[in-house]
Amino acid sequence: MSIFEYNGSALVAMVGKNCFAIASDRRLGVQLQTVATDFQRIFKIHDKLFVGLAGLATDAQTLYQRLVFRHKLYQLREERDMKPETFASLVSAILYEKRFGPYFCQPVIAGLGDEDKPFICTMDSIGAKELAKDFVVAGTASESLYGACESMFKPDMEPEELFETISQALLSSVDRDCLSGWGGHVYVV
Amino acid sequence: MELICSRYMLFSKSRGRFEAIMQLWVAKVIFMKIDFSGLESTAPLCGASSEMFDGFSTSPSFQIPDTTDFDDFQKEAIQMVKPAKGTTTLAFIFKEGVMVAADSRASMGGYISSQSVKKIIEINPYMLGTMAGGAADCQFWHRNLGIKCRLHELANKRRISVTGASKLLANILYSYRGMGLSVGTMIAGWDEKGPGLYYVDSEGGRLKGTKFSVGSGSPYAYGVLDSGYRYDMTIEEAAELARRSIYHATFRDGASGGVASVYYVGPTGWKKLSGDDVGELHYMYNPVEPTIVEQEMSEA
Repeated sequence: MSIFEYNGSALVAMVGKNCFAIASDRRLGVQLQTVATDFQRIFKIHDKLFVGLAGLATDAQTLYQRLVFRHKLYQLREERDMKPETFASLVSAILYEKRFGPYFCQPVIAGLGDEDKPFICTMDSIGAKELAKDFVVAGTASESLYGACESMFKPDMEPEELFETISQALLSSVDRDCLSGWGGHVYVV
Repeated sequence: MELICSRYMLFSKSRGRFEAIMQLWVAKVIFMKIDFSGLESTAPLCGASSEMFDGFSTSPSFQIPDTTDFDDFQKEAIQMVKPAKGTTTLAFIFKEGVMVAADSRASMGGYISSQSVKKIIEINPYMLGTMAGGAADCQFWHRNLGIKCRLHELANKRRISVTGASKLLANILYSYRGMGLSVGTMIAGWDEKGPGLYYVDSEGGRLKGTKFSVGSGSPYAYGVLDSGYRYDMTIEEAAELARRSIYHATFRDGASGGVASVYYVGPTGWKKLSGDDVGELHYMYNPVEPTIVEQEMSEA
């Protein structure tokens, strides 16, 4: 198994009508053995910006700490919160700094920009941004998630419907993956 | 092969290219000749379907595979099959007979290919085999064993013992040793001597015992099984122990899951006792009160 499949993870973010949802599984494992069933993969940067980190858990935690540090510095200097697009560029730059010894993480960024316009994007482990208008996925269950989201997604969903859709997509995909599962955390903003 | 190649590469610089190539060719041929003779004497009939019924008593005929890299193609074949044995199966003997239990998840690396695989194979009405390792290998060889047991019954007018059946299977698997079969099975049954349990694997091992667990989830199952086991349990207690052991293994092991099925083998043959989804077992063993989080959602 590759280094990305060492801990196991499943992350998905979806866009709705002036809202977004980001969801992750809760399993932390060491290859096939389950070590925890309440592991947090989605972190809040500020009220309207969440980042989820799939892949190796140790790199996810370290990267999260670095991102929080950089955002706090930004807040002190600019006296406002970072826009999601700016934050995505920041993450991309931080990941590319380690181009030849990367963090083994795939971040999923979800936030509300100007006038509450939802923004989602994902990246590979060296910072290649992938912007999408509907949904983004990451983690060991990503192939199943692509299929589930593709079939369940509708544009301009209200928050309640978006919550149902993203939960169903996540649960049905992790049911097909040995390395992720044990419930999910869903954030709808 | 690679070692010899590199040695002769060094030779070529001092002795001249043509001679080196000749020696390399000769070494290759010698190598291959030695291997051929070793295989011909021990190889049994390969399971080609058209010859299955004829081939039991005739002399073996083994087709040498047509590859350039004869020495290493077997390694590649084994890597392709990848005997990870992602499963949990267990069986134990107690006062009333034999209890056999297994999960039902089939995994290919990280992908779950099925949650409803029958891992307890019914060889005949009084003998069961469990499946761990390659699904095709286990299914085929168990069915083959069932055929052999029936032939034994017809030839000798009495049922084959569990000892005999497990020996038949072990001998077959030993002759295919090193060819990439992946089988980790337990043969459980009731014969004239009472309950019998044997562990047989594709390396050719055969062990008689009272308690076994096979698969990637077996360490977790052993923990629960060993601490809860007593010889004089009732059938219900034994079934509950088996179910719990499988449940705990599916909790910790990513390659086990699905449905925990429990079978009992007694003097009158085997009987399926239960098949419970392990997700439901989780909430049965760990009841959860509804948390307040749901209320927060609707307020926000």
